[in-house]
Amino acid sequence: MTLCAHDVSLRLGANKVLDGVSVAVAPGSFAALVGPNGAGKSSLLRVLSGDLVPSGGGVTLEGEPLALFGSRDLAQLRSVMGQSATIAFDFYVEEVLAMGWLGSALAYRQALRDVVRRCALDGLLGRRFNTLSGGESQRVQFARALLQIWHGGCGAPPAAPRYLLLDEPTASLDINHELALLRLAHQACERNIGVLAVLHDLNLAARFADRVTLLDGGGIVADGVPDSVLTAERLSRVYATPVRVENHPGLERLVVYT
Amino acid sequence: MAMASVANGKALELVGPLPRQLLIRAPTTLALAVALAGAAALALAVGAMPIDLADLFKDEARLQRMVFAEVRAPRVVLAGFVGAALALSGATLQGLFRNPLADPGLIGVSSGAALGAVAMIVLGGAVALPSVLTPFALPLAAVVGAMLVTLFLYAFASRYGQFSIVTIVLVGIAVNALAGVGIGAFQYMSDDAQLRTLTFWMMGSFGRANWPAVAPAALMVAIAGLPLFFVARGLDLLQLGESEAYHLGIEVKRLKRRIVLCSAAAVGAGVALAGMIGFVGLVVPHLVRLVIGAGHRFVLPCAALLGAALTILADLLARTAAAPAEIPVSLVTSAIGAPFFLWLIARARPR
Repeated sequence: MTLCAHDVSLRLGANKVLDGVSVAVAPGSFAALVGPNGAGKSSLLRVLSGDLVPSGGGVTLEGEPLALFGSRDLAQLRSVMGQSATIAFDFYVEEVLAMGWLGSALAYRQALRDVVRRCALDGLLGRRFNTLSGGESQRVQFARALLQIWHGGCGAPPAAPRYLLLDEPTASLDINHELALLRLAHQACERNIGVLAVLHDLNLAARFADRVTLLDGGGIVADGVPDSVLTAERLSRVYATPVRVENHPGLERLVVYT
Repeated sequence: MAMASVANGKALELVGPLPRQLLIRAPTTLALAVALAGAAALALAVGAMPIDLADLFKDEARLQRMVFAEVRAPRVVLAGFVGAALALSGATLQGLFRNPLADPGLIGVSSGAALGAVAMIVLGGAVALPSVLTPFALPLAAVVGAMLVTLFLYAFASRYGQFSIVTIVLVGIAVNALAGVGIGAFQYMSDDAQLRTLTFWMMGSFGRANWPAVAPAALMVAIAGLPLFFVARGLDLLQLGESEAYHLGIEVKRLKRRIVLCSAAAVGAGVALAGMIGFVGLVVPHLVRLVIGAGHRFVLPCAALLGAALTILADLLARTAAAPAEIPVSLVTSAIGAPFFLWLIARARPR
């Protein structure tokens, strides 16, 4: 019951972007992809979402090769929040959110209300999407991705395993909203959703992820629980800058700083 | 599968008031349908011979009946279908290219259709067609021309990156120029009789409308246009980006194929009969979006209705303004469309 990349390699032109990468996202858990720029995090996410077809290895969803799923079936089981999206025409926020809804028109009202309340988007619904700030539009896109898999899909039992793939979901958010968004993503795990997020902030990864995968140069450096992956020696080597990692006694969590 | 309903105003009272634009979408559609009926009735009644529609079935109105059935009606039907086709394909092409300046005329789709039609007029004699297909020959050739241009534009855009808002117009200039070269070459090759046909055809008018010519083209426009009403959700999602549309369950390649095929067919069939009528495909979708927002589920039907109504009125103006002479209908549409186009460019500059 997972979304798995098996020994995935990816070539884009002459560059080998990914080389023999295997990861698994389990429903109900939060996995983080971390690593320096160009490590292949976003590419791995795009391979897992079905955007890019790997040149070696493969991706399976619940044991079935991803290629066997039609885009419509796949959309019921996983949603993706990309890095940025601009829209050529003046859609309202409410219309953008509706784009994420795949279920019946009858259930839309309830689901929209649930998601909008949780994401605290009440004030934005009647705004035009193109007038939002970078952070606001990111929150709307997150809510859209959440709405897409809010229920277990048409016909499937309510708690069918689903997956939420987030590519740097907090890139333009202030500290308050980045915590709020990751909390929401974490709460989504309770709905039998597996979350995979590309994160730059190692503190956030340490705080929210059940499992952290550290990538560098297209390969996996370490994979496991945050405490075991995020060590000062390893991070200093991968990021080529001195990094300190401490277990903060007051906060009772890992703190990473340079 | 059921689509999410954003039209349902009640659904949203629970989470806040709905923007006014979204609330007036259904009433606007209805109003446009009434306006189209009104425009058609007006255009049927007014002309060199005034026709009282109420008296049409009285015995003494035989002449009026004949003018109505053989002259006025085919002309109004043609103008309506061509206007609807241009506006509808303008709206879908703007969605497909994610570019508010995409218009069948500006980006060269109409000239592609014209080139196809001209080629058929000049070379058609050499191709032996079964007589059943003869009425379809000109529209089909125009459709093929329009399709080739749209495919070329799409391939060009995919290869050299997304067109920026204004680049598409520059590419359109080049495509229009190339089509012009082809049309010129065919004019040079044509004999006297063909040249006369060509010249009359290129002037573009609804004036030569008669049922044997209108019926096949209207049929083609209808067949090509109908599937376009069902791509609304796909077009909405495409505005988020191609990957995003795929993530949301759209078969993007199939969607694009359908849009290219159908919009080119609708434009081609229209151009084959009425020549090139500019700016309807640009102006109408914009007017519609200004009033009811960008959601394609209402933009597409509203654009078709408004396109038909405005084109019928433009044709009415063209044949009555300087009566008994007729001014070309494209003169009327361009007089309205060109200033609007300038305003759009001014508005589309990088913010």
